[in-house]
Amino acid sequence: MKQAAAGSTPVVKADKKPFFSQRTLSKIVDFLFVVPALVLLAVFTYYPIVKLVQISFTDWNLLNDTWKYVGLKNWNWLFAGSGAKYLWNSLKVTFLYSMGEILVTMVGGMLLALLFNRLTSSFSLMRAFVFVPKYVAMSSAAVVFLWILNTDAGVLNYMLQCIGLPAVDWLNQQSTALPSVLMLTGWRVIGYGMMIYLSAMIGISPEYYEAASLDGANGFQKFFRITLPLLSPTTLFLLVTTFLSSMKVFQSVDILTSGGPARSTEVFVYLIYRYAMVDFRMDRASTAAVMFFLILLTITILTMKISDRSVTYDS
Amino acid sequence: MKKISRRSFLIATGAIAAATAMTACSGGSTGKANTTASSAASAAPETVDPSKYEVTEPITITWWHALESQYDELVADVVKKFNATQSLITVEAQYIGSYKDINEALVAAHAAGTGLPAVAVANTDYVASYGDSGLYENLDPYIAGTGYDVDDFSAGLLLSSQYEGKQVALPFLHSTQVIYYNKTMADENGWTIPEKIEDFTPFLAEVHSKKGIYGTVVPGWDQWYFETMYLNEGVQIITGDNDCDLNSETALGVTNMIKGWCDAGDAYFAAGTDASATMRQNFYDQKTFSVMHTSSLYNNYVSKCPDFEVGMAWYPAATTGDKNSEVGGCVLGIPSKNDQATKNAAWQFLQFLCGKEVNMEWAEGTGYLPTRNSVLNTEEGKEFLEKKPAFQCIFDNLNLINPRIQNAAWSELATTWKNYMEVMMNQDGDVTSGSNDMVTEINEILEDHA
Repeated sequence: MKQAAAGSTPVVKADKKPFFSQRTLSKIVDFLFVVPALVLLAVFTYYPIVKLVQISFTDWNLLNDTWKYVGLKNWNWLFAGSGAKYLWNSLKVTFLYSMGEILVTMVGGMLLALLFNRLTSSFSLMRAFVFVPKYVAMSSAAVVFLWILNTDAGVLNYMLQCIGLPAVDWLNQQSTALPSVLMLTGWRVIGYGMMIYLSAMIGISPEYYEAASLDGANGFQKFFRITLPLLSPTTLFLLVTTFLSSMKVFQSVDILTSGGPARSTEVFVYLIYRYAMVDFRMDRASTAAVMFFLILLTITILTMKISDRSVTYDS
Repeated sequence: MKKISRRSFLIATGAIAAATAMTACSGGSTGKANTTASSAASAAPETVDPSKYEVTEPITITWWHALESQYDELVADVVKKFNATQSLITVEAQYIGSYKDINEALVAAHAAGTGLPAVAVANTDYVASYGDSGLYENLDPYIAGTGYDVDDFSAGLLLSSQYEGKQVALPFLHSTQVIYYNKTMADENGWTIPEKIEDFTPFLAEVHSKKGIYGTVVPGWDQWYFETMYLNEGVQIITGDNDCDLNSETALGVTNMIKGWCDAGDAYFAAGTDASATMRQNFYDQKTFSVMHTSSLYNNYVSKCPDFEVGMAWYPAATTGDKNSEVGGCVLGIPSKNDQATKNAAWQFLQFLCGKEVNMEWAEGTGYLPTRNSVLNTEEGKEFLEKKPAFQCIFDNLNLINPRIQNAAWSELATTWKNYMEVMMNQDGDVTSGSNDMVTEINEILEDHA
């Protein structure tokens, strides 16, 4: 501080106002904690998405180091060229697969949850048996299913023949290939659906059922009027998560059928893989991937919108 | 245009037909083809400083191969021998998987520019795309700089590892398409594999009606096994105008012929999951009289069929009289994005792997064909034939083994062809409309790569 002029009253300067208020500073500190996560998201999620869109407008072949912009050529090929029939085919196959997985997870899981909704040790053991496949690596499980479904030496055909039925070429017929993939999926996911429903069922207050019993409701009425509505948040959760995960199915298809026979199991992710890693057409693969991203985004938003109106969160 | 022209292809084919290579055992020899092949290879720079390719520092390099576990000992032995020949280079062999697996891994590593092996095998039909994209190093300067003798290779094999006149790889383990058949059953019934395709159809029907089993199996998981039937009938697959002619009348004739076999139950088209393993098992179990497969699996077939003798026959000649076949198996190359020290070490190892010293060891241990003329002409070569007399049919026709069609679009084209064939053969697809749709799609692919 400068010395005041002689004889005059010394002037004491007020404290300097901080550049950030305490509240702003607190917000900045909070934000700094999020920065590492944002950086990771930016590098590993947002940048690849932007790059994906960029590549979809180029002619990049993975074998070549150079590429050039080709405008809407890839998009035209995908929607109006010879790529269109494969696009629609894979969308159809993916949709069918998703419906199958959702059905198994939700209906199968619900039925098993109702069956195993007893808190005894023997039921715990049975629940564990049903749930364990979820933790078996998909690649290992798929290889085992390859043997089970083998036309000549598979256990399944052996059992069919034991009861007088003909052997089925499970993985090499268009009509049976997708159901065969769903068999593996069902074996893995049904226990997961059961556990999620079970945990939700345990959370339903028994008073509802007691009151319903006093009113003379039977088992079906209790299920459809109490259990099912109160499980709607769980159902929504399973629907959204199962749908999104089923749309991304790849490994089981790759190992069991490689998308065949005649593309009858060529799900969308496998289509993208084929363009990228079999044909090395990163341009086409990126176009399909952007398309897939948009589809998933739209469906997720729609699902969330619909659920806001039809799900009961009051249990 | 990134493909060899029709003229070049015909010249190459003609050259091979006249090849001196490997023909000592079959009795014919001209010497013209060697000149053609080596002249392509010798399009190398005239003055190359040999010191540029010397290995001066200790280095460890990796070799990606596709030799399955039954060949572990053989691979280890060859690598050990190489490591013992010098003190600077240590080789680590890595089994990556099938040719398809190696292709995927190699292209991904090339695009990333990291994790590349020093030496990698590639199926013969990848040579064009690797040469076109520069994935494989041009070996001409190395050959010129070190004075490596490539003229000792069969001319056809040498051409199979060139792209647009550049030697981008070296011949390694080679095979061709053959028919394996149950010789014991054939002898019992007085059957021989017909030499003409027009006799083959009734022959298959006879086997089917007499024994109630398939006459043969046409592999559908790789078009290599059936494309030769089209080529011999005069189908070019890719014409001089860069169009596909797989919907021409001649091509439709071949497709309908194969479909006729399948529809009658005289043969089946092996496609889908485990198609190769299932086909082999059907042969071992005598559910089919014969199978079309690669000559490299001879050892495997013989060892799995102790109850009957396995015979090997050449594909029947087409109606044109042509009975050519195509080179299969793999070549060896050096990924170009490696540093020069790695490439130099890789070149040393490459020469050893393809050298005379281990050529017969590979052939005996794997079932692939010897690739060196000088090896075939030795006592070792004669002993090889004595040990594996079934190979006589191949040795008799060595000069008919042609290089593959070299086109950068080939891999995509082949995938499309296989997929359509599967639908036409196994899913009741209409041959004419299916072929037309397929050709439309293939022409788009060819145009994209032009």
